[in-house]
Amino acid sequence: MTDVTRVKTGGRTIGETLFSLKGVSFRVGGIQILPELDLDLETGRMTGIIGPNGSGKSSLVKLLARQQVPSTGSISFLGQPLADYSNRDLARRLAYMPQFTPSAEGMTVAELAELGRFPWHGALGRMDDTDAAKVADAIDRTGLRAFADRLVDSLSGGERQRSWLAMMLAQDAKCLLLDEPTSALDLAHQAEMLKLVSDLTREKELTAIVVLHDINMAARYCDEIIAVKAGQVVARGTPPEIVNAQTLAGLYDLPMGVMAHPATGQPLGYVL
Amino acid sequence: MVWSGLAVVAAGLFLLRVWAAWPDAPGGDELDRVILLYSVLPRPVVAILAGAALGLSGLLLQRVLRNALAEPSTLGISAGAQLAMAIATLFAPGLMVFSPALVAFAGGALAVGLCLLLTWRRGLEPVSVVLAGMMVALTATSASAALILANGDYLFSLFIWGGGSLNQQSWQPVLSIAPVLAIGFIASILLLRPLTILGLDDRTARSLGLAVDAGRLGMLALAVWLATTIVAQVGVIGFVGLAAPALAGLSGARTLARKLVAAPAIGAILLWTTDGFVQLFSGGGGERIPTGAATALLGGPLLLWLLPRLRMMEWPTIGQAASLARRTARPWVLVLAVAVAVLVVAGLALVLGKGPDGWIVANGALLADLANWRWPRILVAAAAGGMMAGAGVLVQRLTGNPLASPEVLGVGSGAGAGLAALFAFNAAVGLPWQFVAASVGALASLLLILAVSARAKFGPERLLLGGIAVGAACGAVITAVIALGTAQSYALLGWLTGSTSQTEPSHAVVVLIAAAILLLPALLMVRWLDILQLGAPVAAGLGVPLGRARGAVVILAALMTAIASLFVGPLSFVGLIAPHMARLMGLSRTRHQLAGAVALGAGLLVLSDWLARTLIFPYQLPVGLFASLIGGPYLVYLLSRGVPSRA
Repeated sequence: MTDVTRVKTGGRTIGETLFSLKGVSFRVGGIQILPELDLDLETGRMTGIIGPNGSGKSSLVKLLARQQVPSTGSISFLGQPLADYSNRDLARRLAYMPQFTPSAEGMTVAELAELGRFPWHGALGRMDDTDAAKVADAIDRTGLRAFADRLVDSLSGGERQRSWLAMMLAQDAKCLLLDEPTSALDLAHQAEMLKLVSDLTREKELTAIVVLHDINMAARYCDEIIAVKAGQVVARGTPPEIVNAQTLAGLYDLPMGVMAHPATGQPLGYVL
Repeated sequence: MVWSGLAVVAAGLFLLRVWAAWPDAPGGDELDRVILLYSVLPRPVVAILAGAALGLSGLLLQRVLRNALAEPSTLGISAGAQLAMAIATLFAPGLMVFSPALVAFAGGALAVGLCLLLTWRRGLEPVSVVLAGMMVALTATSASAALILANGDYLFSLFIWGGGSLNQQSWQPVLSIAPVLAIGFIASILLLRPLTILGLDDRTARSLGLAVDAGRLGMLALAVWLATTIVAQVGVIGFVGLAAPALAGLSGARTLARKLVAAPAIGAILLWTTDGFVQLFSGGGGERIPTGAATALLGGPLLLWLLPRLRMMEWPTIGQAASLARRTARPWVLVLAVAVAVLVVAGLALVLGKGPDGWIVANGALLADLANWRWPRILVAAAAGGMMAGAGVLVQRLTGNPLASPEVLGVGSGAGAGLAALFAFNAAVGLPWQFVAASVGALASLLLILAVSARAKFGPERLLLGGIAVGAACGAVITAVIALGTAQSYALLGWLTGSTSQTEPSHAVVVLIAAAILLLPALLMVRWLDILQLGAPVAAGLGVPLGRARGAVVILAALMTAIASLFVGPLSFVGLIAPHMARLMGLSRTRHQLAGAVALGAGLLVLSDWLARTLIFPYQLPVGLFASLIGGPYLVYLLSRGVPSRA
């Protein structure tokens, strides 16, 4: 890691380039999902990716997670081409939660979290005390201590999402990619989940890139917002820079208004 | 397009037959005229009617149960009807004279009733229903086979008829099927609206003012009546009921009304075409190859080809299935207990036997004599059972599909097809070559299924449909080679029923070593398997080398299945049953489940081997079928007891 671009702000490192996309496009079966895209993403923040359905935000995260390979262009991750990482090397640095988490049939929360240690040991390596400590810490941080021995599938939606987050934390990666982690949750659990991710990025000096649906939720918890439309980054900046009537109207093709949050003063978008 | 083409082919084949059978001179040979009128002409009519009835029955079942895999044979209806007719023929011949159709209907209705009763508490959840149905079907088939073998020649005709032969001697079957089909079709048209609503979930249906249970029961009865009429008239013809509705959907029939027309039409064309080919290739009367088996040869590849194009899936997916089975606190203790129990069973099997004068507990010199005969087969049964169960765990974890197993996915049949191909060239080849052929067959079929379903992202229904298609096609190859009636046929027939009675000591040692060599790496893969069942995105995210891990698991599973099925046949269903038994006993982690399933599989086959040789001494029953007879009811019991699924 080079320290050239590193800037310390409030105890966390911001500004180092995490991902760098150059001329990245993605097509499936002749359909262009992402036209050529140049984008730099930096460490130490929680970045929200928002945009209408079918805008390509999910595809973008999948490309970053190397779940899919770009049709053209190159992605570099921490200064190296993403394609050059071995599977487990990448998994030690980058944790990914798919949009639809599968059923973890027959697994307890603790067992699921323990899977996060796989990248460090592979199929045969022995788990030691460090691993046990990392798993325990992940379970504590996600507030699942009381549920550690419960079956994941028997938990509520919010608790289940947190179990998956625990697995990602146990992975000990510096970068978390989450594809719509709140889509199946009610309002309270959405807020809880996003606050947790936001706190974690602060305390553990992590980077989180989160695909979100709700612009106000994104504005409330993210440090930076990237607005994607038809595969293009149409706006990017801090929440106050993004949440204005003009940008939102352009993003969603809907007349939108913005007002100040009565308590915090943050801008809130609404449909006119 | 495809269908009208096939219909033309079928019609052409039919005209060919008529032309061949046409009496040369008017008023000429009376016999030729009789053959034409009473054998050649009725045959295609029966094929068309039976195909249509099966297609309609399959559509109704799939609709009513909201289950893409429901059809007369997966729900045990055909097998139940067959068993009922076998029992009636033996013990109440009067009933068969009175009305075979009634007997068949009672059997089929009982089977489907049992199946639904067992899964009622689980809300008729599709996976459980099909599991229960397959178990009921297996148990009924084993029971029929046992009855047939125990009664020798008397019931052998029943066995042939069980293959589904369309040979006709009169117009009587036509007259029996036609009215049933007509009534069924008209009833379905009249009930179109309730049927459409039944395809939604129960609460919606009820809120739309439908008497759900009554409606469902009525539809079921209709479907069972249609299916059992066919069983009574022409025998068990599988696959059409499953394939016709699926193919109808694939060919663009979207609404129920169009499917109601398309499914019977496609079923009819499927059966008619197949029967045409069967008559063409078998020369004479076409009695050699049962049409029921040949249907699969045509329909299997067709379904495979169409599967990736499958768009419609209006049924709720079965993915999230299964149960939140309880877990044991001490899994290894349980595994150890099972292993000890298996050893006890094996010990009993060694000393306990049946002689001409009844039960004998062998000891001393007698034991030393008998042991030489008994230990090889006990060892082979245990090793094969363990491998089948191991392969089952591997495949279920790999696909994340609770219904997957080497047998269901047709891997065992694939091994058989490889063997059949080998036998077709040379019947007298040794074990090493048999093993190579079986392995190649197993591996090829497993790779084919996985390739087809990977394009569909391993959707559970598609995987199973693909497996059933491959299995059915391979089964048809085997049946065709058997039907050649040569020396090879007997070797293959023996293999199919899975007999351990001629095991040599050297074979037993080889199989045991193979089991050890193959099961050890499987135990080393448990961490992969834990992650693989969570699907590709998660596995890739955790850094599992997907291609290598999957490849290794597939190869191991195929080799295990191939070796095991060389000795116990392809139809033991240990690979399906043992992993579920282990899971439902509370062994849910991969390593515990694998160990437990291997022990259970070994025990299951040792037990069935022992029962197979003692139960109707001095005759021997097929081991593989016996395993399903023991394991099936237990699995069904476990399923019915399972925790009600989470709402």
